[in-house]
Amino acid sequence: MTRTRSPLLLVAALLAPAIAGLVVFRLYPIALAVSDSFFNMVRGHQVFVGVGNYLSLIADSAFWKSLQVTFWFNLLINPIQIALSLGLALLYVQKFRGIALYRFLFLIPIGVSLPVAVIIWRIMLSQDGLVNGLIGIAGIPAQPWLTSESFALYSIIAIATWKGISYWMIFIIGGLQNISTEIYEAARLDGAVAWQRLWHITIPLLRPTLLFVLVADVSINFLLFAPIFMLTQGGPADSTNVLMYEAYKSGFVFGDMGRAMAIIVVVVLILLVIVGLQFRLLNGKQEKK
Amino acid sequence: MARPLRRGISFGLRHIGYIAVAFIFVLPLWWAIVSSLRPNMEVFADIFPFTPKALLPVPFSLQAYEGVFQRGFGQIIANTMLVAMITMIAGLFVNGLAGFAFAVFDFKGKNAILTLIIISFMLPFEAIALPLYTVTLQLGWLDNIAALIVPSVANGLAVFLFYQFFKEVPKDYLEAARLDGANWLDVLRHVYVPLSIPTLISAGLLLFVFQWEAFLWPLLAMPSQQFKVIQVGMAAFQQQYQTIWNQLFAVAVITALIPIALLMPLQRYYVQGLAGAGLKG
Repeated sequence: MTRTRSPLLLVAALLAPAIAGLVVFRLYPIALAVSDSFFNMVRGHQVFVGVGNYLSLIADSAFWKSLQVTFWFNLLINPIQIALSLGLALLYVQKFRGIALYRFLFLIPIGVSLPVAVIIWRIMLSQDGLVNGLIGIAGIPAQPWLTSESFALYSIIAIATWKGISYWMIFIIGGLQNISTEIYEAARLDGAVAWQRLWHITIPLLRPTLLFVLVADVSINFLLFAPIFMLTQGGPADSTNVLMYEAYKSGFVFGDMGRAMAIIVVVVLILLVIVGLQFRLLNGKQEKK
Repeated sequence: MARPLRRGISFGLRHIGYIAVAFIFVLPLWWAIVSSLRPNMEVFADIFPFTPKALLPVPFSLQAYEGVFQRGFGQIIANTMLVAMITMIAGLFVNGLAGFAFAVFDFKGKNAILTLIIISFMLPFEAIALPLYTVTLQLGWLDNIAALIVPSVANGLAVFLFYQFFKEVPKDYLEAARLDGANWLDVLRHVYVPLSIPTLISAGLLLFVFQWEAFLWPLLAMPSQQFKVIQVGMAAFQQQYQTIWNQLFAVAVITALIPIALLMPLQRYYVQGLAGAGLKG
């Protein structure tokens, strides 16, 4: 690039506020979490315990149970959300009279914050709420959606999915708009039916977008907190006690910040490994083709 | 089968499919609106056994909204507006300037810094909320409105949106303005800003909506709850007035409808802004 010499002082001045903000309020907290996880509070004093907090996690059955819940939750919610947001994006990009209204309606959950969604769904899923009323039409008896061990986690998945898929849909729409229509025309002339076009053209060409959505979605769901805090507080019988909530309880209910930070560090490390694997697996496949 | 008949059937099936999907998206908000417009005794009427009347605001009443504002919810809305507007304006400046610097100038370590910025927005806020609490303690900002605003001003995604957009502005404009003797800030003000209104809107919405929806952070940073923002206020309302269902719904409807009213006319910018970020991210 041929360009006039960059005025370094000006560049520094332009970047300074944003960089300072990101360093102090994003990067420094991460470093702080790591260092705090090596300390314990004993009678108001910070005492260095080395990897003690991590070692006690290994022997801690509550931690393992919570890890298990976190994995099960993510194994279900992420594929469900991505499949549904892909489906929704395919509906969104169709063109026919009246689509504009449907498009607007599909975007409604984006405007509804997660806490609002949680409050409305909590009442809808209550014993005498709307959902039980609707399934009553089909003669199904009322179910304890949020208060039974076997339903609570799945109800949270349903609520988070309702709230989340419109948002992910937007990114997939961006990817779909980038695929040239000529490829579809060619495939149609070759006699490919709709699901073949989806499987052999749309999904492979969407791979970079889907990878982005997968990584971002997993990062959010792995750290999901608000619905569990507001709906179940980890219960019933710890069936929704994901690691983020376990960390919150540790730090803010039991005042054990060392353990809380150790859990957060473990969660973020697991997340980084998962994201790394996703990049390897999904980008690798593309190179072979 | 005759052709028009077949077309009619596929037309019908398509709309039934779309209506079914749209129904699921609309139902919670619709039921919340309807219930907020009924007297409290009637909220759960018509559900067992279910009749379509459960989805209509009959008997109609505005009591819930009067009650909500009597309990001081107006103040909570004003608080949140203040926090969100300051964050949005400061954030547009701070992130726009950084995006401009990245797009226009070459300097050492540019790619490394950009990578750090992208990482900073890929890692969700929840991951750093607990350690950020410690930072706030160290700064002495606990229960101070600065704790809500300052950490949210610098936003990696907003920097990235501006960077992407400014990069595409033809360099000829810039060179021409420079030859006319304009300094860099004039170039930014008179060339780049007027071109970037859509990006300003989508980044502004991003910052505004982020603050409007903040829940975990205000809960941690303002423990005394003297200054309540809307999501926390709503959750507190839920705990305090458990059985005043219609008012609870009114609070939820107000909290949801303000950002929807903002997003509706600006939907195009929001969708295009985010869709582009995913494509190049």
